[in-house]
Amino acid sequence: MTQDTSSAPLTMVAPHTHDRSSVERIMLQVCLALTPATLFGLWQFGWPAAMLWLLTCVSAVATEVLCLWLRRKPLHHSVDLSALLTGWLLALSLPPWAPWWIGVGGSFFAIAVGKHLYGGIGQNIFNPAMLARIALLVSFPVQMTTWPLAGQHTPDFITSLGIIFQGMPMPDGTTGATILGELKTAYSGDATVTSITDAHFFWLDAGLGFTAGSLGETSALLILAGGIWLLALRIISWHIPVAMLLSLLLVSAFFNAVDPGRYAGPMVHLLSGGTLLGAFFIATDYVTSPSSNSGRLWFGACCGVLVFAIRSWGGFPEGVGFAVLFMNALTPLLDRYCKPRAYGRNVAGKALKVRNTTRRIK
Amino acid sequence: MSQSYRQIFGDGLWNNNVAMGQMLALCPLLAVTTTATNGLGMGLASMVVLLLTNVIISSIRGIITPQVRIPVLIVLIATVVTLVDMAINALLHPLYKVLGLFIALIVTNCAILGRAESFAAKNGVRLAAADALAMGLGFTWVLIVIGGMREILGSGTLFSHASLLLGDSFAWLEITVIPNYSGILLSVLPPGAFIALGLLIAFKRVVDRRLKSGNTEQLVVPTL
Amino acid sequence: MATVASPSYRQRVSYHAGLLAGICCLVSMLLLIGNMESEEIISDHLEADKQFLLGQVLPAALYDNAPLREIEVLDNINGFTKPVEIAPAMLAGQLSAVVLQSSVGGWGDNIQFIIAADKQGNITGVRVISHKETPGLADGIELDKSDWITRFNGHSLQSLSPSQWAVKKDGGEFDQFTGATITPRAMVNGVHRALEVMAEWQQQQLASQPPREQEQQQPPAAAPATAAPTAVEHQQGVNP
Repeated sequence: MTQDTSSAPLTMVAPHTHDRSSVERIMLQVCLALTPATLFGLWQFGWPAAMLWLLTCVSAVATEVLCLWLRRKPLHHSVDLSALLTGWLLALSLPPWAPWWIGVGGSFFAIAVGKHLYGGIGQNIFNPAMLARIALLVSFPVQMTTWPLAGQHTPDFITSLGIIFQGMPMPDGTTGATILGELKTAYSGDATVTSITDAHFFWLDAGLGFTAGSLGETSALLILAGGIWLLALRIISWHIPVAMLLSLLLVSAFFNAVDPGRYAGPMVHLLSGGTLLGAFFIATDYVTSPSSNSGRLWFGACCGVLVFAIRSWGGFPEGVGFAVLFMNALTPLLDRYCKPRAYGRNVAGKALKVRNTTRRIK
Repeated sequence: MSQSYRQIFGDGLWNNNVAMGQMLALCPLLAVTTTATNGLGMGLASMVVLLLTNVIISSIRGIITPQVRIPVLIVLIATVVTLVDMAINALLHPLYKVLGLFIALIVTNCAILGRAESFAAKNGVRLAAADALAMGLGFTWVLIVIGGMREILGSGTLFSHASLLLGDSFAWLEITVIPNYSGILLSVLPPGAFIALGLLIAFKRVVDRRLKSGNTEQLVVPTL
Repeated sequence: MATVASPSYRQRVSYHAGLLAGICCLVSMLLLIGNMESEEIISDHLEADKQFLLGQVLPAALYDNAPLREIEVLDNINGFTKPVEIAPAMLAGQLSAVVLQSSVGGWGDNIQFIIAADKQGNITGVRVISHKETPGLADGIELDKSDWITRFNGHSLQSLSPSQWAVKKDGGEFDQFTGATITPRAMVNGVHRALEVMAEWQQQQLASQPPREQEQQQPPAAAPATAAPTAVEHQQGVNP
């Protein structure tokens, strides 16, 4: 809890202790937690994905340096790795074979608009990586919904350069929709959700990561492992991920039970799209989530319900980004209503009555 | 009370600009500025309405009493807007198809009531007309700049369809800035309007700060 | 206001009421005059707009009547989200084409479109009038954005089998857009359905000519299935 030193004291109350962690240390550990899923994604989607990932991370750090220089701030801020993490998370949520300007433009938007325009680290209202992803999705819907299929022969280095830097068309038959995209499309056709999930959703593949999707959306298992490692290190608390996954599970199970032909089941919702990445790595961002535990529970639960609502009834197939941004906007409100009780005082801030065990001294 | 024309125009065009200083009329500003042409059309329509209401209200300010001034002002503004709406629909029909909904919404434009209440009701007809022109021009240029920014980023053109608004003799205004450009859709969608307006206001603050540090006696505090 | 001394009569309620009433009278008159002056021009413009739209889908050589004045409204037609407006185009007193306007449900909201087909059932044109599909992804149904909508021209119920009336992704003849299948699918289905409705309506028109009243004398059960709603409507109008 050291990153948001500028905002935390407003709502967090004494006693404060320090565990000698630092921003750099935390960011490094989060990056490490992302590494297995990233490596798996890079192996699966090949050179284009690796180039895009590197480009996005590098341009995020470069934008951070540029912004700090423009704002006349000491440059050693940029080595706190938060910009690297933002770029990394953004790269994980992009289609792996997107053209270079998607990654560079997205990183610039995330750091310059999503972070520094609000005042830099600790001041931003919205999660920068998700803000950039949504801006890209709204601006470039074609590029942002072209997913390479999993388990195919990945292009060689030269072809990859062409795909990423020259906008070469991807070979026919190598791209397709994600399971959530298929579901969205199904509603207008004759197909029911059941037939789509039977044909396109295999929970073992989805769990291991052999599906179409972004780097961070494919391997549910490795993302989950990274998230649990963060929980074990106590970098994140369990409240947001558990509340988010549980509420998504309950809501989707309920609607699936009512009308299985119209609503996909909980396994589809939990294992596909950015659910797990969002629950463990994005919704738990210190700066943009509530600081009290009850606030976090509300935050997570609302995220889960919103994810289901946007996926089922919204205009876009994937709802994690929108849900997290929406709840980011409500975070100050949650912080206000879910303020932890101050020591010796009740929730309203009045001093507690002390039981009179000793004689009153005159 | 009387102000110099120089001051009126300085206020309207920059210091106390409707959109950037008073932060009024943001609803039409955000809604119509998808192209520079739309911005120009909306700005001119607003200016005509503002000019008419300011002159009318200034000339009858002697008989309006404070107790009933608000209903009287609103009735007058609504009438002028309706008449302008009909006139544009009849005379400039292509423009009406683009701006139709928003012209009727000028009636809810706080800037019109704001100028009527704070300026026209207290000043002579000439000053009120000058104020309307200044405020209208100030609003128009902001609309054009925001519309232009969004249009270039969003569709790679500038003043597209300007000949529909101004006649064929203005077809030279229509410029394709970036050919074969698919565009950043965000900038023509509503969030783009907020971002563009934010950047413009930030730009004004920066310029004002520079000017202030340059010569300190010209410190201007925006007021309604 | 400091310059004008406020006489005492202005403090009376009657002055306020009179002032408001006077101004309201004045502006009502102004509005009345404005409306009288502009009403005709505006309705001419609206007529011209509709005529322009009609000209987009129906070649002027195909009709000499005013189809827009002979619109019939069919309620409760399957496949459409709004009542279907259908009108005959006549050439020298003979039915030469049929124009249909309605809406289908797209991704975002209703897609309103107009379609015309000659009497053999060949499409002469389709245009989307309004829609709320995702910009950049699914707005290729607009003629301004792509020529996709013109690819319906010349097709008919005979030129393609029912299974070919679909987007390529569903095994049909028509392209979908990159990243957007729902909008083109809705449009293809809507056009296909419109052709069916138009064909049935045309047969019914030809059968009932010249005295169209005869059809209304039939009991509703005997009427063809799709014609039933209109027939019922007429019945209700005739029998008190």
